[in-house]
Amino acid sequence: MFAELTATFACPVLLAALADQVPGIFFGLPLVALASLVFAATHHEDPAEIRFATIHWAVWLGGILGLVLAGVLLLGRFA
Amino acid sequence: MALPRDNQRPVPRIVAVSPDDGSAIDLRNPALAAILSWAVPGLGHLYQGRVFKGRLFMGAILGVFLAGMWLGGGRVVYASWKPGDTRWAFVCQAGAGLVAMPAVVQSLALHGAARQPLFASPFMAPPLVAGQYVSRAYADRLDASDPDIDADDFFDRPPLKQFRGEQVSRWQRRLGRWFDIGTLYTMLAGMLNVLVVYDAWAGPLGTPTDEDRKARSGSP
Repeated sequence: MFAELTATFACPVLLAALADQVPGIFFGLPLVALASLVFAATHHEDPAEIRFATIHWAVWLGGILGLVLAGVLLLGRFA
Repeated sequence: MALPRDNQRPVPRIVAVSPDDGSAIDLRNPALAAILSWAVPGLGHLYQGRVFKGRLFMGAILGVFLAGMWLGGGRVVYASWKPGDTRWAFVCQAGAGLVAMPAVVQSLALHGAARQPLFASPFMAPPLVAGQYVSRAYADRLDASDPDIDADDFFDRPPLKQFRGEQVSRWQRRLGRWFDIGTLYTMLAGMLNVLVVYDAWAGPLGTPTDEDRKARSGSP
């Protein structure tokens, strides 16, 4: 199992094929995480506070983007 | 002439206040720290001794920038101001610092007298547009290394070659959504580094409120 995983991640072609199966929306998650982390770290100095604020920002940012996405999907369905 | 020891005054330190515990943060030379933070995300914080945040910013921003380049097949970071292919995304990508600057060098070199990027390498070089003249070495290099281009895509115009077609549309056709996802990753990394530069320049954005100070001091 470990050897297969290692081979998958060592081979860009296999990894690209794996990434092709992932819906595009999930590639936004690392961006939400990055934005939350940088927002938190530029507002605090203490590592524990940074961790707490990262989760706080991620929930808010993810929630707002999720609402926007839900609105767009609803508009697309009923328009 | 050096001042006598008695006349020397202590150099004033520029400090910011931590919003967490109210402690002082020595910003050292804020301008230098900001420049370092732009050049390499987090380097300004390391210079200021804020090691945890320096490593955090360096890993997060450079990681996402490089991930974006990988997802976009290495084609998403380039500088181009040609009519019809103005790369506005690069304005944001440039915020990530030196890691994006080869794109500027490659763009200047391609439009210079040599008509080819440095070492005829397509790395971060802007895409060719219809009718653009390039050196024979660069045309041969693209023919050999770029899956979207072959020898028939160039007119022979000694001592140069002239490209026909639009290279960027070929990239977008081959890469599909990965071109956009890679562009988004690299743009966001550059934009967030602006916050990092500000943090190195002026300290944390969050400032302690009066309620925070009262809570820490224990007074009602």
